[in-house]
Amino acid sequence: MTTPSRRELLQAMGSGFGMASLSSLLAAPAPSRNPLDVKTPHFAAKAKHVIYLFLNGGPSQVDTFDPKPQLTKFHGTLAPAGNLKTERKTGTLLKSPFEFKRCGKSGLELSEIFPNLGRSADELCVIRSMYTERPNHEPSLLMLNAGHVLPGHPSMGSWLTYGLGTINQNLPGFVVMCPGLPVIGPQLWTSAYLPSIHQGVHLPNNEQEPEKLIQHLRNQKTAPAEQRRQLDLLGELNRLHMAREGDDPQLEGRIQSMEIAYRMQTEAMEAFDLSKEPEAVRTRYGEGDFNRGCLIARRLVERGVRMVQVYYGNSQPWDTHDDIMDLRKLARTSDSGMGALLEDLKNSGLLKETIVIIGGEFGRTPSVEVSGLVRLQNGRDHNNHGFSLALAGGGIRGGMAYGATDDFGFKAVENRVHPHDLHATILHQLGLDHTKLTYRYSGRDFRLTDVAGTVVKDILT
Amino acid sequence: MRLLVTALSLCAVTARAATDGPAASPEFFETKIRPVLAKQCYGCHAASKMGGLDLTARVGLEKGGARGSALGESGWLMRAITYTDDQLKMPPAGKLSDAEIADLTAWVKAGAHWPEHKAAVQVAGPGYKITDEQRAWWAFQPVRKPVPPAVKQSAWPRTNIDRFVLNKLEAKGLKPVRPATRRALIRRAYYDLTGLPPTADEVEAFEKDKSHDAFAQVVERLLASRHYGERWGRYWLDVARYSDDRLNSTMDSPYENAYLYRDWVIEAFNQDMPFDLFVKAQIAGDLLDHPDRDKLVAGLGFYALSPEFQDDRVDATTRGFMGLTVACAQCHDHKFDPIPTKDFYALSGVFSSTKLSEFPLAPEAQVRDYKARKERIEEQEKALNEFLDKQAAALSEILAARTTRYLDAVRRGGKDESLDAETLERWTKYLAKEREHPFLKDWDKSGFPSEAFQARVLELIKEKKKIEETNLIRLGGSQKRGDLAGADLVALERDKYLLWRDLFSTGAGILYYKEAKVDRFLEGQWKKHLEGLRAELARLKKELPEQYPFIHTIADVEAPKNMRIRIRGSADNLGDEAPRAFLSILSKSTPAPFTKGSGRLELAEAVASSANPLTPRVMVNRIWKQHFGTGLTSTPSNFGQLGERPSHPELLDYLAARLIEANWSMKALHREIMNSAVYQLAASTEGVAFEADPDNRLYWRASRRRLDVEPLRDTLLAVSGELDTKIGGKAEKLTEESNKRRTIYGFVSRRKLDGTLSLFDFPNPNSTSEQRIETATPLQALFFMNSGFLQARSKALAAKLERAGEDNKVRIVAAYRLLYGRPATAREIELGLKFLAGGAPSQAWPLYAQALLSSNELLFLD
Repeated sequence: MTTPSRRELLQAMGSGFGMASLSSLLAAPAPSRNPLDVKTPHFAAKAKHVIYLFLNGGPSQVDTFDPKPQLTKFHGTLAPAGNLKTERKTGTLLKSPFEFKRCGKSGLELSEIFPNLGRSADELCVIRSMYTERPNHEPSLLMLNAGHVLPGHPSMGSWLTYGLGTINQNLPGFVVMCPGLPVIGPQLWTSAYLPSIHQGVHLPNNEQEPEKLIQHLRNQKTAPAEQRRQLDLLGELNRLHMAREGDDPQLEGRIQSMEIAYRMQTEAMEAFDLSKEPEAVRTRYGEGDFNRGCLIARRLVERGVRMVQVYYGNSQPWDTHDDIMDLRKLARTSDSGMGALLEDLKNSGLLKETIVIIGGEFGRTPSVEVSGLVRLQNGRDHNNHGFSLALAGGGIRGGMAYGATDDFGFKAVENRVHPHDLHATILHQLGLDHTKLTYRYSGRDFRLTDVAGTVVKDILT
Repeated sequence: MRLLVTALSLCAVTARAATDGPAASPEFFETKIRPVLAKQCYGCHAASKMGGLDLTARVGLEKGGARGSALGESGWLMRAITYTDDQLKMPPAGKLSDAEIADLTAWVKAGAHWPEHKAAVQVAGPGYKITDEQRAWWAFQPVRKPVPPAVKQSAWPRTNIDRFVLNKLEAKGLKPVRPATRRALIRRAYYDLTGLPPTADEVEAFEKDKSHDAFAQVVERLLASRHYGERWGRYWLDVARYSDDRLNSTMDSPYENAYLYRDWVIEAFNQDMPFDLFVKAQIAGDLLDHPDRDKLVAGLGFYALSPEFQDDRVDATTRGFMGLTVACAQCHDHKFDPIPTKDFYALSGVFSSTKLSEFPLAPEAQVRDYKARKERIEEQEKALNEFLDKQAAALSEILAARTTRYLDAVRRGGKDESLDAETLERWTKYLAKEREHPFLKDWDKSGFPSEAFQARVLELIKEKKKIEETNLIRLGGSQKRGDLAGADLVALERDKYLLWRDLFSTGAGILYYKEAKVDRFLEGQWKKHLEGLRAELARLKKELPEQYPFIHTIADVEAPKNMRIRIRGSADNLGDEAPRAFLSILSKSTPAPFTKGSGRLELAEAVASSANPLTPRVMVNRIWKQHFGTGLTSTPSNFGQLGERPSHPELLDYLAARLIEANWSMKALHREIMNSAVYQLAASTEGVAFEADPDNRLYWRASRRRLDVEPLRDTLLAVSGELDTKIGGKAEKLTEESNKRRTIYGFVSRRKLDGTLSLFDFPNPNSTSEQRIETATPLQALFFMNSGFLQARSKALAAKLERAGEDNKVRIVAAYRLLYGRPATAREIELGLKFLAGGAPSQAWPLYAQALLSSNELLFLD
């Protein structure tokens, strides 16, 4: 048996995992110093990255991913079994104003408002049987993002960098884009009790200049050559200090982090700079913050970022209480980006190792929202009982619909999938056993999936 | 020395006969066996009896689980823990350490002696029993004051604390390192007590002061500093999850006066308020029989400013004050600690019988007057708005009746003196963009029937009114009717609705004029009336004094009520009533129900009682942790089974006893700790102790720490000569460039935490925080390299150094003295001169200053 060297011991102390005890050190190879270093998953992974396109507000499933002929047939009548309890009162059944079309070789049915997405139908797995506990935005947003209905738990992206680290150390491991803030805000990408290095880095992607995207990314005053000279000086002074104080991984770690930060300035600027993309590509993705966010997401994943989340917009744009015709406008500023992203990932081969998730926090009622005297009464209320969510890539079977809602699309009735199951499945594809990815805090081991979650094996290749 | 237990040696063990010996003694069981069972096995094999196996008594072991007896050298216990069976490997999360396996093996071999114990006592609801094992947990034992142990190296200890520490080191054959240098020591003391660096003069004076009590005097001076409360108050605010705003979903929602709680905490530390009173004031300051009660109510901010989550107040109370994770028992009995679900709801009932309130800091007449004025203003605003709404609606109909003229004017190029200019401009813009309805498709072609269009618009107004009337009737005359589902309401056709929305809606209708814009259309009596309404409102507002100051507090509700247990945490599945009461495990028998109001006062007395074994231990551990980097227990808010056991249980008890003896004075505790030899050790990693105890759990040296965000930011402002040391007052955003106050006064947000705070590991203020996690990330490095904050400090520092003299060398020497309290070395001067020669002075000096401000020497504390 070999005795660990003094240096190894010192390294272990600076690992950022709390202090390793001597006994564990004797048993295991010297652990990594950087909590974001790539870690070995529990088992062989199918996927390495996640892109989560979050259509915040609650997109209507019966107008997008879940065609319901019976809804058209019984339009204007009260649902025979009555309406389920949602946030507000709803009235008679309201048919979708959009046509559904069979797409791709698989013939997966998608709404006409997503023509570009439809071109990748054979890559898509639409789960039509999602459900959550509450018909309110806050708890459902928290559930889809962090697996709990109350704030204060780490987001999925935080769990992923905690469990797997990240591939490119010159970029954040978990990036969240939203122009402004979704409802609830940063609690949706918090690392909560995990070390804060795992917190999502929020980029207000309505800003188009790269240096405004990451805090302190660019020095407006100092020329690069001058900054290099300054950092060289700082490095020398810090090494003189360490020579006096003796080897210390904390001191050494900080010297290195200055160097990483120096490289990050160039690398991150490059990654976020969409002017580096040919104009034809930018045109294909389309105008608008979300479409551009899809393009940035592709560039980040190409550079090794673990998880990228793109929220459609500030507050909750997909919250179509008044008029479902608004969906057409929303699709116009999201379909091209989602479609182009899937095609690009497919063509580059990255889709094999990237799971793309498309969906919101819940769905909407098939019945019309009754909104008093003034409004149009062509909208739908929140619906947590059943909604759709689309997945692609990363070992997920394409060209299929999984699960089903009832005849009108109100409630998930077949192969129901809870967000815990979704999270368990995504973690599984990334090589993580959701029951083993735990963090001890406040007296117990916490998980993304709380005490539930089943991997949905039927949708895996 | 490692103990290797292989399958072979186990077989050898099996072959021997059971013998008595040390492994059969009660001490062996209590020190080696029970703790391992409790920590590694009871999660599943106590109350929940997984696989049928109960490991809380010998009889359970004998009976075994589904596979058969767990007793004996070839029984399932041994097979499972040695991982020699193909299927059954326990604990599932990972094999026990070799030492633990060896102990268990020896114990089983010696006959698995299990000391006798009395029958378990039932204290909670039916079916829940707290066992003697659970009661025997170290943290529930009364605080006693151990006699400091004897030590060999008798010259080293200065205080009793040192004897406890040295005793443990000697037991391992280890020695403490050398004492810290005077410079390191005074820097450590300043940061520990005030969060600010010493000045160069202070360092120098201390280095020169050879009197025997030189350091004790420094400690006294710092304890008396008004900055002491700012440092230690902030530590408490982490526990109290202090925030200047609420977690609102969609908008900022600041508290009016949260800072009064923050300032109260600072002042309580500065005044050395006894910790028991400090606790009581926060739980029940309004109910205490105390001459200063009106001052103590500010402590209620602990709850008045709490996040509104179901389990938060129980969680913050039990983890924050007592190191118990009672919120784990919200859905089921606690899996590890003796906390039945009933206890959670017994405490929860106290808080659900409590409401938010305010304590005005003004005479009652002033409060009444303010409220009356405020109400009058609201009435006036309502009257004004109603009038404006009516006029706006009427106006939009008048303008609608001229639609043809506006359309024609736009087609002609957008000029017509006889029309309203703004309305014409609105029409022009509207007609220029895409519309969702078809009615104006060919408006610019000749022959567009603009008169027919106008008629359609006027018809639309009528139709809309008719629909509203119809719906009102169908709703039974009230819009407030709840059940709308079957009301069969009617609506405009979609296209017509869109046209109506574009022209008339209050949000964006082009014919709708709101508020001030209605004015220019009004004349005569209408105009006079409107002006009158406005003038009156303006007068009322002008006369409204600034709101009286008030403290956010809580108060008992009029009819306090017990909660019923929520089975599996579900409000739809209620179980038995849980009388409001204290925790079972901290009560002698069944806890007596609280009888006074909500029960907060009784709760406060129980939490802050000197008989409570947890409260004083938890607080002295928090204080120790901030001085040494690691607590004696390294999980400061969890003293239960899943927390770490203390490294020095006797020392922890000794300190807890001392705290109570000193009338809960926290300053006395700092004094005792800081005057010890162990506090004054160097941060050196030299010596043999490093190999044996790399984590420094035995305190053979000082641990190097990165400055927390508050002292970090405060230091940068202090050394550049810019720090504003004003104490207390409203929070200000740290993003404001002009904000040069101490970081504790920066705005703390639950909704969106400040970027700098979150970059440097500030805890999430949505729940109570036991300790900060220290991270080192490139994003932090970017802050030093590129932030406007660092650039501003660097510029100020460069300007300050400029005043030290003309010569670069003189300035460099001044810089080292100012920042690090020491002379610069020849090499450092050489590097500095070389750097400065490489650029124009106005550029090079701020860059040089920035490098010094970003150095490890400034950022780390030895």
